Parts: sequence; structure tokens; C-alpha cells
Amino acid sequence: MSSSELKRRIYYYLGFRRVGASRETDEQIGMRLEELQRIAQFRCLYRCFEDRPAFLQKPPYERFLKGCGGVILSVTTLGAAVDRRIKQLGRTDMLGAVVLDACASAYLEEQADLYEQAIRPGLTPRFCPGYGGSTVEDLRPIFALLRPEKIGVSLNESCFMLPAKSMAGVLGIRNEEETQ
Amino acid sequence: MPELGREVIVFDGGMGSELERLGLRGVPEELNVTAAEQIRSIHRAYACADVITTNTFGLNRVKYRGAYPIRELALRAIENARCAGKKVFFDIGPTGAMMEPLGPLSFDQAYEAFEELARIAGGEADGFIVETFSDLYEIKACLLALKENADKPIYATMTFDQSGRTLTGSSPEIVACTLSGLGADALGVNCSLGPKELLPVVERLLRVSDKPVIVQPNRGLPVLEGDKTVYKLSAEEFEAYAETMLKMGVSVIGGCCGTTPEFIRRLSRFSGQPVRRPEVRAQTQVCSATVLTEIEGVKVCGERLNPTGKKRLKQALLDGDYDYLADEALKQQNAGADLLDLNVGLPQLDEPRVMREAVKRVQEYSDLPIQIDSSDPAAIESGVRYCNGIPLINSVNGEEEVMARVFPIARKYGAVVLGLAMDKDGVPRTAKGRCEIARRIIERAAEYGIPKHRIMIDTLVVTASAEQALVRETLEALRLVRALGVKTALGVSNVSFGLPNRALLNRTFLAMAMTCGLNMPILNPLDGEMMGAVKAHAVLSGEDENAEGYIEAYKDFLPGAVSAPPGTKRTQEKSAATLYDCVKQGLKNHAAELCEAELMEKDPLTVVNDVLIRALQEVGDLYEKGRLFLPQLVSAAEAAKAAFAVVSSRLPKDAPSKGKVVLATVRGDVHDIGKNIVKVVLESYGYRVIDLGKDVPAEKVVEAWREHRPVSVGLSALMTTTVKGMEETIRALREAGCDAAICVGGAVLNAETARRIGADHYTRDALEYARLLDTLFPSA
Repeated sequence: MSSSELKRRIYYYLGFRRVGASRETDEQIGMRLEELQRIAQFRCLYRCFEDRPAFLQKPPYERFLKGCGGVILSVTTLGAAVDRRIKQLGRTDMLGAVVLDACASAYLEEQADLYEQAIRPGLTPRFCPGYGGSTVEDLRPIFALLRPEKIGVSLNESCFMLPAKSMAGVLGIRNEEETQ
Repeated sequence: MPELGREVIVFDGGMGSELERLGLRGVPEELNVTAAEQIRSIHRAYACADVITTNTFGLNRVKYRGAYPIRELALRAIENARCAGKKVFFDIGPTGAMMEPLGPLSFDQAYEAFEELARIAGGEADGFIVETFSDLYEIKACLLALKENADKPIYATMTFDQSGRTLTGSSPEIVACTLSGLGADALGVNCSLGPKELLPVVERLLRVSDKPVIVQPNRGLPVLEGDKTVYKLSAEEFEAYAETMLKMGVSVIGGCCGTTPEFIRRLSRFSGQPVRRPEVRAQTQVCSATVLTEIEGVKVCGERLNPTGKKRLKQALLDGDYDYLADEALKQQNAGADLLDLNVGLPQLDEPRVMREAVKRVQEYSDLPIQIDSSDPAAIESGVRYCNGIPLINSVNGEEEVMARVFPIARKYGAVVLGLAMDKDGVPRTAKGRCEIARRIIERAAEYGIPKHRIMIDTLVVTASAEQALVRETLEALRLVRALGVKTALGVSNVSFGLPNRALLNRTFLAMAMTCGLNMPILNPLDGEMMGAVKAHAVLSGEDENAEGYIEAYKDFLPGAVSAPPGTKRTQEKSAATLYDCVKQGLKNHAAELCEAELMEKDPLTVVNDVLIRALQEVGDLYEKGRLFLPQLVSAAEAAKAAFAVVSSRLPKDAPSKGKVVLATVRGDVHDIGKNIVKVVLESYGYRVIDLGKDVPAEKVVEAWREHRPVSVGLSALMTTTVKGMEETIRALREAGCDAAICVGGAVLNAETARRIGADHYTRDALEYARLLDTLFPSA
């Protein structure tokens, strides 16, 4: 992702629509991105499956994985320090908290994109349980298969990932003829 | 088995890879019963090691939910490990659940899970190997459970990533300080990375740990082949790295993921060799999970979390308003404090309970180490127990009974103790007399097994107005006590009681005391002049090399300017001429000042109605039209809130308030940023918000409604899975007879869902909520 794409996403998360940057917000974003580089501990975990796990045999995934053979399941996180910092700012500087929250989401996506697309060529983008037509309960089988506790990510009873700045995704491996 | 610390001890290697090789599937811990013979064959293959670890890594009641009783699996695992004819250490891994405050697992729940294992294995195994922990708070719970319920050696290791920190952000120095303090017999690192990647972490552990260091690396970094994780490092390479580590001073070596009996056979030649460990310089240090404060040079202890003479804090403690403590803690942290004093001593309170809650809340937000300040040993123990990391205890004095009550606590939790240079006869008049008491405290501590570097001495400030001649004795005592080899502390601002221009005396006394060897002034870090004196002293004493810290702090200094609040970047600040513009532009640092100016000309209610509300109204309109966005709305709300704080102090006590609102993110839901935005915006509109936080059970919301009788209850949920929790909460409120407007919001909600789950209103965002309340309760 280019830095302008990263910024575009941050502005989007902050609710900006059809409007470019504002100077103050730009300053805040710059400051918070700098802070993120310092405190984020990006960690990741993935596994390839030649045979798709059973939970993917449902319409939203089947539609998404059309033209794919195996899949990759991945979990990525920015670590607990980012959650903690957002929380801290929430008490002393709400603006900072709101901007850091948006920056962290966009930054995590950027890092995850870079990491996942480097695993191998011919991958689909990431589909996260909870996206259109799927349910966050599908995080359970992903967690059972990947055990991302190793990278410090756990799932609570309502299927929230902890730390909050974590993502779990399904990436299809395109069949060779499709790739060409 | 070789003698720990003097001779090299070799542990066994990976269990997982061996299970895989034998084609054993299922829950590893159950294999102790269902495939006992194969498990034994693995242990036998590792008999070349000095210590065999049991196949019990995932065996604890939080993680293991299988059909077998934990006791049976644990005992069978020990029995299986015995077949190798070597010492058997019971293996304990983390619970796998995220600890509070980020996760749902409480300190006590973690403790109970490990307590169960300590009771079962304590009489059977030869020791405990606590491994692969990534959360300092969880491993503290584990070590305490083992210490309190068993009497066997404990070797404790955590995992680090390539950044040199644990998953929860603890450095090797913090890990060494904490595990050593909590009484681990050996401490170190396992799993995580390969031996090569672990070298920097091992080096740092060796530099600071006063306990033998244990290392159990993985077989290099894993490589993925197809859908399998494979390790590629050869046994020879592994052995070579092990040899390097032993040369560096490691005492105990073994293997983790991917290592096999072949690897351990190669290590076994090191068994019994003398350990080459360079001497470690003992340091006086305290830590939280992420910050280590070494008491060297001058370190500032923030004094503001002490209710003596502080009405607002007193009230917060009486009300159980721990958020206020968190705010005060953060203010001091942002102002540059190095650790925080925490005192909750009020006669009306159950001090041990309040201390526990206060410690938990303060460390939930603040990163700094804590000084537990109490004269009640039960409150001290409660604070020290729930404190993440190694705290300072304030205080003991030369009285035998006091030392007899407090030293055992300090010893058990590895805390540093601040000793007051006085005894039952009071404060000695001479420096020599105080130094004598200090000496006695140090000696007595040693008898309890507390080394000198875990003792600090407060040479006690006297009031210059009453005992002018004694000020010199306090300063002289600093010199004498430092010569005993311990660090010093003083509550400096006591010196000026009863005299005019106290700040000047405090500042001057501080400078004198630092020159005499004061290490830890206990002061108000929000006092820029005092903090400035500390920074200046650091330059003049040479401690701040090249004056880097000083220049960083004062590079924007303008002569004659009023000192700006710490952390503000003057250069980036815009300014506004009026309060109205200030709120509109969201300049919260100027809001209070401009509000004061406005109040000189207008009465408080006019300021609220004609300035604040009008400005917010305009910001709100622009936000709704899509001309302003969330950051600007939040900034304006924060500026308005700062102004409201000034106005409300001027309003007559019985002035009509807009009423209270209870806010909560419902049970199971941990996202609270949206709810926090609502809070700021409602407060900016003049409502008093009772914020229950996130993951709040229905009963707690009902309880808060009963207690506060708010005009509205606001509930937030982010995901479909937690809308159920919201519905339950609304039902519970209705059953309790709640007549407040129940409003809901959050990403997955809409008006339709809100109606279905029984809410009165759905509001799209914070602004809509505030405006709705103003319409519903216009008279307020």
C-alpha cells in the first residue's frame, strides 16, 4: 500500500467522505503513525490448506473462493501495546485516541497485506469472517486450527479478538490456469 | 543432578515433534493416559538429560476442558516421566486466556488454576518448569501459586520476539527483575526463536539477572513446507550455539519446539561443567510490566495519589471513582514522573480492598512502577500482590514490630522497601542518629533475606519554620546514608510548611538535597518548576550527558512565557481570540483560560447558553452536513468539556444540572472507543456521565441505574454476537423498573434492531444522542 493509500484509508475510518485532508488532522495522523511504528509489535501466523477446512463450505466463502484450490488462513496483530495506548489516550486525549485507533486499523491492514501477499503468488485478497454474509463465529475454527495464542491473540466468548487490533483472514490460492 | 548455578544442568527437548513422529494425535495431555507407553518411550529417549519435563504443558483448568480429571493426568504424567530415571520437573504452560485488564482472565482465576497444579504436583515432582509465558502478570500469579502451595525449585522462562520483548511488552531486564524478585530459582527464555536469534536476549538476561539463567531455544526459525511447519537447524549447529551461550554464562540449557533426543544427546556433554558466570552488579530497581525504573541519579516519585490534604481525591476514593485515580496517574506520567506513590488510607475505607482496586485501575492505564504507600500491612500486601512487576513499599521504620510485619511481605514479593530514619522515639535530631537507624533497618532486612539493594532510606524532611536547624541534619543524613551503599528518598515539599512562597523554598531545598545525594524526591510532577530543577540538576551533575534531555525539554523555551502544560507542542498550537472560536476550532489547551476571561464579563449560565452551547450547535450542524468530521467533533467536545469544568466550579451548588447518563459497552463486548466518544460529547453538552466501561454484565448496569437514577442509560455493542448481551441488559433494566430513556448504538445496530431488543431509542452517533437527550429533557 502506498502512503497515500494508507492515508486515504485512515481518513475513511475517521469518517471523512468526499473531502481531502485537513491540516490539523494531517498533523495528528503523522504524529500517531510515527508513534505506531514505535509501539506496534506486528506479528503474524498462517497455514496453508490443500483441502479446505469444513467451515469454508458455505455460500459466502464458496463464492469468494471460486476458481481457487487450497486456502491460506492467517492471523495478524499489532500487539497489546497499541490497544493499551489507545485506551490511555482515551482518558487524556480523546482526539488522539480516535486518530490512533483509525491509524492502527489502516496500518494493520497494510502490514497484513504486505505479509500475506509475500507468502506466495496467486492469492486472492483477504476475506475476514464477519464480512458480507459470513459470521464472526467462523473465527472459532480458525483459532482452533492456527492456535494464534502463540502470537498473543485470543478469542473471547463473543468472538472478539484480543488484542482488538488483530485480524483473521481467509485467502484463496488461485488455480494456476486462473492465475494465468 | 548437577548443582544449580555452579554446574551446567541439561534439560530435555521438544515433546510436540516427537508426538508427531510417533503419529500420536489428540490432546497431548490425555496421551499420558491413552498412550502412556509411547509417552514413556519419548521420556526414555531423553534420558541423556539431567531433567525430564512432564507432558503437561496445556494442563490447567482454564485451557484443558477434556474428560479426564486434571489430577489424574498430572499424576500419570509424573509417573511416565519417572521411567527415565532422572529428576522430574512438572511442566506448566500459560492458560492461553488473555489476562485482565485487556482480557477476561482475572489474576485470582489464573492463581487458582496454578494453585491446583501446585497442590497436585508439589509432593510428587522434583521441581517446576514454568515455561512459554508471555504475560508478566500471569507468570507472577503462577510463581505465587507455586511458592504458596508447594516447596520445590522453580525454573521460570518466558518467550520473547525478535524485538527483544515479550508479547505483552516486557523487556529481558523487567523479566529478570520480576522473576528473581518473586523467588524463581532459575529464570530465562524458552521457545520464541532459534538459538541464534535468542543470543541478544540471553546476553541481556545475563547482564542483569542475579539468578542462574536457563535457555531452551527452538530448533531455529520454523519454515513452512506445504501446510507443515518444519525446523531446519542441524543438531551440530544447535550444539555450537549452546556452547556459545554456556560460555556467556548460561547455567541451564535444553531444547524447545523442533528439538529431538539427538539434540539433547549432543548437549549432554556439557552436563556438570562449571558455570562461568561473571559477577552481576546489584541495582535498586522497580518495574511495571513495561517500564523499569532504576533508582540511579535522580528519579521522581509522583506524590499526587495520596488523599492527605486533597479533597477531590478523598471524595473519589470514598465514591469508588477509580477512574479519577487513573487520570491523576496519567497526568503525572505525562509530566515526567518515573514512578507513582499510591496511598488510599482513609479511616472510613476497607484499605486492603481499596488498595487492590486502586492498584489494578492505576496500572490498567499508567505504565509506571508503583510505590505502595500504607501503614497497614494487610493493605501493603494487597497492593504488592496485585501489582504487575516489582513495586516499592513505603514504608518501614526502625521499630522492630513494624519491620517484623513488613519485611516478610517485601521478601515474598521481591519488593524494594523504603525505610524511614525514625523509630518509636521519633526522628533523631542528628544526621548520625538517623544514619544509625538506617543501618539497623539494613541489618534487619538482611536477616529477612532482603539484600541491601532492595532497601532505600528516607532521611525525613522537617519543617524549616519549626525546626530550622534540623534541615541541615536531613541533608547531612543523605550523605551518610548514601555512604552505607543504599539509595535515598525525601518528601521534599514538607520543608516549607508555614512559610510564604513555598514554591521557592521547595525548589531550593530540592536542589540542595540532590547535591547531597538524594535519589528519589517524592513531589508533585505537575509542578513545572520542581521538575525543571530536576532536569537542571541532571545537566549540572553530568548525569544528562550533553544536556540532551534538558535541550529536548526546553528547546522551545521563550523567556518570560508562562510554562505550558507538559507534552504540549507550542509550535503547533493555533490560538483563538474567543471561547466561541476556541470550542469551534477544538483547541482544548486554551479553553480553560478563555473561559476564565469570559467569566469576568458574563455570568456562568450565560457562558454556557450563549457561548458553549451555541458553538457546539454550530459544530454539530457542520458535522451533520458532512462539512466537519469525527476528529473535529471530538476536539470541539473536548474543548467544551474543559470549559464546562471551569464554569461548573462557578455555578451555584443547587444550579439545575442536565442530569446523569449511565454508559456501558455490554457484556462480551470489548470495543469501547465509540462509547468513549459518546462520553466526551455528552459531557461537553453538560451531562454527568457515569461510565461503567466495557464488557459490563447486566446486573452492574441495573445496579448503576438504581444508584444514580440517570435520565438515560446508553448501551453500546459493536457486533452481532453481543447484541444478545444488549437485549439481556435491557430486559434486566425493564424488570428492575427502569424508567430512564434506554438508548442504544454501535456498528451493528439500527432503529429496527433497537426496537426489536426493546430499546427506547437508537442513535446513530454521539451527536445524535446528545441532541436527542436535549429534546427529551428540554427543561434540564
